[in-house]
Amino acid sequence: MAYSEKVIDHYENPRNVGSMDKNDPQVATGMVGAPACGDVMKLQLKISDDGIIEDAKFKTYGCGSAIASSSLVTEWVKGKSIEEASSIKNTDIAEELALPPVKIHCSILAEDAIKAAIEDYRSKQK
Amino acid sequence: MLNYFELFGLKTDFSIDLAQLSNAFQQLQKTAHPDKFAHASSQEQLLAVQKSATINDAYQTLKNPLKRAEYILKLRGTVMPSEQASFQDNAFLMQQMELREMIAEVQAANDIDAALLEVRTVLDSEYQQLFTQLQQLLNDDTEQSNQQASDILRKLKFYQKLQLEVDRLEEQLFDD
Repeated sequence: MAYSEKVIDHYENPRNVGSMDKNDPQVATGMVGAPACGDVMKLQLKISDDGIIEDAKFKTYGCGSAIASSSLVTEWVKGKSIEEASSIKNTDIAEELALPPVKIHCSILAEDAIKAAIEDYRSKQK
Repeated sequence: MLNYFELFGLKTDFSIDLAQLSNAFQQLQKTAHPDKFAHASSQEQLLAVQKSATINDAYQTLKNPLKRAEYILKLRGTVMPSEQASFQDNAFLMQQMELREMIAEVQAANDIDAALLEVRTVLDSEYQQLFTQLQQLLNDDTEQSNQQASDILRKLKFYQKLQLEVDRLEEQLFDD
């Protein structure tokens, strides 16, 4: 199966790989996994007091499409508000990366990672 | 629906005798072998091919413990999350990340053999622990235990992938 140029670009030069301190009250962590392929994705967002995503980091173990999907998401969410970030759909990711049907679940994983991180942020706010 | 266990004359149970399964498979496969139908009508030939394919599917399903567990849960009508649905058990996924990191570090270890062995030992013991839980839950066979079994099964799939990952790494390290 051929990867699109955009997937290869993100795979070879992943943006924002890394970790942040998950105990920092400003850092939200979203962990998701896909049993079918064993992929594990961690997305971390640093969120300012007024709800703007200042920084994003990811660490993904999985195929090229899973890595590209999470790398793309970190680029997209930076500078966005939580509301804007939570409106990112897996179809946007799949379209941008030209993912084939068998790799759509990688984009779903990335969307779920954003949701999981935002959920973590909300639970930390309480 | 055709019950794969009954097809091979086995009791519908997670614990099966693999030798008995393999024997029954070979016997049954002989009866449907396409060569036997070389002079039969094309419709009979087609049926034989279909039967042969079903027997193969059934055998592959029952031979593999995780597929067998999944099949039993399906027979029991347990609703399982889609293969594509993402899994969100933070503690478990954190542990998966750590195991992935451990595997990634093998290549940089001073003693690669020892590092590989350690990874294998950890993976095997965690797999075995989950597998024992799966066995017990399937034996209990209540609605709740079947639901829990389906959750354990999803976790076991992650371990299966990790084991493949280690196999691949080992090949890569020792082939050249």
